[in-house]
Amino acid sequence: MYYPFETQVAPLINVRRERMLPSPGEVTVRIGERVDPMQVVAQANLPGDFRVLSVAHLLGISDAKIKNYMRVKVGESVRRGQILAKRRSRVVKSPIAGVLASSGGGRVLVEAPPTPFELRAYIQGSVTNVLQGRGVVIETTGAVIQGVWGAGGESFGVLKKLVKSPDKPLRARDIDPSCHGTIVIGGSGFNAAVLERAQELQVRGIVTGSLPPELIPEVRRSPIPIIITEGIGAFPMSEPFFQLLATNDGREASISGKIKSRWGVVRPEIIIVLPAESLPSTQAQPGMPLTVGARVRAVRAPYLGQVGTVVTLVDHPRHIETDAKVRGAEVDIGQREPVFIPLMNLEALR
Amino acid sequence: MAQDSSIDSILLADCGTVMTKVVLLDRVGGQYRFVARGEALTTAEYPWSDVTAGVRHAVEQITNVTGREFFSSTGDLLAANMQGADVFAATTSASPPLEVVLGGLVRDLSVASAERAAAGTYSQVKAIIASDGRGGLTEEERVNTIHKAAPDVICIAGGLENGATRPVLEIVETAALACSLMEESKRPRILYAGNSQLRQKVVDIVKGQAELRVADNVRPTLAEENLFNVQEELDEFYRQNKMTQLPGLDALEAWSPTALTPTARAFSRIVQYLWHLGDPSSGVLGVDVGAANTTIAAAFDGHPFLTVHGDLGVTFGGERLLQEQGFETLARWIPEPLTEDEMHGLLINKELHPVSIPQEPGGVWLEQALAREAIRGALEVARPGWRPGAAQPYPHLMPLCDTIIVSGGALVNTPRPGQIALTVLDALQPIGVSTLVLDKYGLASALGSVAAVKPLAAVEALDSGGFVNLATVVSPVGRARPGDTILRVKITYDDGSGFSVEVQYGNIEVLPLLPGQQAVLELRPTGRHRFDVGLGGPGKGGKRRVNGGIAGLIIDARGRPLRLASDPEERQVQTRQWLWDVGG
Repeated sequence: MYYPFETQVAPLINVRRERMLPSPGEVTVRIGERVDPMQVVAQANLPGDFRVLSVAHLLGISDAKIKNYMRVKVGESVRRGQILAKRRSRVVKSPIAGVLASSGGGRVLVEAPPTPFELRAYIQGSVTNVLQGRGVVIETTGAVIQGVWGAGGESFGVLKKLVKSPDKPLRARDIDPSCHGTIVIGGSGFNAAVLERAQELQVRGIVTGSLPPELIPEVRRSPIPIIITEGIGAFPMSEPFFQLLATNDGREASISGKIKSRWGVVRPEIIIVLPAESLPSTQAQPGMPLTVGARVRAVRAPYLGQVGTVVTLVDHPRHIETDAKVRGAEVDIGQREPVFIPLMNLEALR
Repeated sequence: MAQDSSIDSILLADCGTVMTKVVLLDRVGGQYRFVARGEALTTAEYPWSDVTAGVRHAVEQITNVTGREFFSSTGDLLAANMQGADVFAATTSASPPLEVVLGGLVRDLSVASAERAAAGTYSQVKAIIASDGRGGLTEEERVNTIHKAAPDVICIAGGLENGATRPVLEIVETAALACSLMEESKRPRILYAGNSQLRQKVVDIVKGQAELRVADNVRPTLAEENLFNVQEELDEFYRQNKMTQLPGLDALEAWSPTALTPTARAFSRIVQYLWHLGDPSSGVLGVDVGAANTTIAAAFDGHPFLTVHGDLGVTFGGERLLQEQGFETLARWIPEPLTEDEMHGLLINKELHPVSIPQEPGGVWLEQALAREAIRGALEVARPGWRPGAAQPYPHLMPLCDTIIVSGGALVNTPRPGQIALTVLDALQPIGVSTLVLDKYGLASALGSVAAVKPLAAVEALDSGGFVNLATVVSPVGRARPGDTILRVKITYDDGSGFSVEVQYGNIEVLPLLPGQQAVLELRPTGRHRFDVGLGGPGKGGKRRVNGGIAGLIIDARGRPLRLASDPEERQVQTRQWLWDVGG
């Protein structure tokens, strides 16, 4: 049996997201409370900037003597530019506003006031758990589409499909003022002009099948959340991803471009909250072995991005073009005959 | 679990970053033998979030082959009298690495030693703070560097014994200050491994700001390096604080009578074992190229040397390598045209789908190029720390290594044996006569872990089919013009047949010698060039009994160090020719 990696492209499932503060703070919502994506659910004070000032060196004295020349005591507030120490014509001023936090070894430490941090709900739903001082759990129902690569943070907006088919690239001229505040959906990819135009019009997110590698540095610098569903290069968006996004064209969605590839994997995603009286009973359990009939996607060339159904799990390893001998499956990807794809190059779609 | 005398069956698991491998050893005819293996995805992440799931998935494959059940219906590991296994042992490299900031006085001395010490375990050096002016950071910038890096450990070296004091204490003060600015629960540990006379002062400075550990000075004199103690400290810290972050680790440990071992440490143990079995005048080397880490384990004069090149394997780290070292670093090993964009795309897509394998040649060449660079990078860190003694006839080249173990999915799953051999030869550039041994089933680290429970099993299983001879390699050292005859080789098989060949400089010759076959090899360097074939010095020849391998007997007459053509097209012709020569 082979237990494959999985990607979600689910029209309606239970969605549960843990929202955690980066450092301890205060949760501002209660269990059972309904929240909106932009609502603050917790807040914390993050440590501020700091400056280390070598007072002894700047005043030309030994470390032990600096207390004789200090004008401010440890624990006292200081203004930017305020004199901290003075010896004849030599003065040491605070480069930032804050507190004189400590003194020792001939130097002092000035800490700026903490920076307030607000944690937003990100998705519309109900608070089902409060992790005191750390964060909350929010649950809802809706469609979930996971990307393979992403950049940028989180946002919220209306989905706007700008291409007719999944193999069409997003073009700069497609992005007009009506895209302001929306999450735009393309097919295969986009270029630098699209990114520039999207930033000008304050687009809230971009979703396409692929991204040319040369655009990665610019995309990483962009504040817009960007989600790539297939990979880096030039590939069309897989049909089920495109169809699910197209079905929800015009609906509000949450988007996250955050990605972490190891040790607590985080995948970029789009969540479209949908009302559900009852969820479909056919929901596949995660983490199950690959079986005949499973819907899979190929993740390596020459079939990268092709979605199909497992027809046969081949018993014995076979040689592939590289001469490697590997276990695989016959997959119906809509060609005349099913194609042999190594198991390691398949992921299950749920 | 069973007493030592009654251990018949042993189940060994290695939870790697991407794949989990399990092997079953059993006593057959009074000797431990490799029986079956299974391999599955490592399941540390969602939806499993439990590494034992991956072990079970791999064990299912063993059950399919042997018909033997290993788990009860409640999920407990069965003792052998109820099918199962007498002993279970596991290794792992799947945990996050120890994040380290290194501090020291001189970049090429104490800091380099501290770097090698950190490389003795799965670690990632987040920043280096040296006092020798390079980088020229102010104290505030240093504090900021530590603060941003938010490491697990700040390892401070520096100051020879009876040497410098003030600059060392300044680094300690900076580290303590940076710690004081962090949330108490997130403060790193400070590990002091510098001038031992300063220990009390270091204690006074750090007191109340961070947890302090003290180790022996890593660089007590200019000529001496002492990594053992600080490596032990870092390794222990890794085991306690990082390995334990692996979800499901508790259950895995509950199955085993011994503590879980880091894969690299277990791999090093088996390399040391092999040294004891071989020619003591030369070394034994082990290369394990994984998805995220590359390990070089060496043994010289009975001493082990372990280097883990964290964050560079054939899956993770390729994009960073491309950004930091440029396209040519990888492109030079690729035998066909590949644009930088294509390379970039392939490297990122591999990271996005870490378990995937190339289905087209371009992807294979790129992964092999990455393996070469990962090994070279690890060697660069490792070699200055080795003490090979008589095994090092040429200081600028590799020491003589009798046996080289080749391990790790990235190498072992290479489509053709010749490609594996060429990757290893290009990356290591061994000299003299070496046997390349392929760890076909990923047994090496598992055997290292079983050595702690049942040493006999480790020794016996080495010969039981899990390890396969890849090739015997002769790598002459010397200088000549390409095409000059430098060596006459006569091979005499056990049935008395044989033949002779003349080897030209710049070429690779592969002579047929199958696994399990032995032959007497007679090497005669030609008079004028006086190449050294590892049989007593330049120009000296002799006879040696050698073993066959799946890639044959390879005479690598390309010279040391290896020279690649500077013109990209010429280089592609060159690398294609070498691949052709080895049957790749």
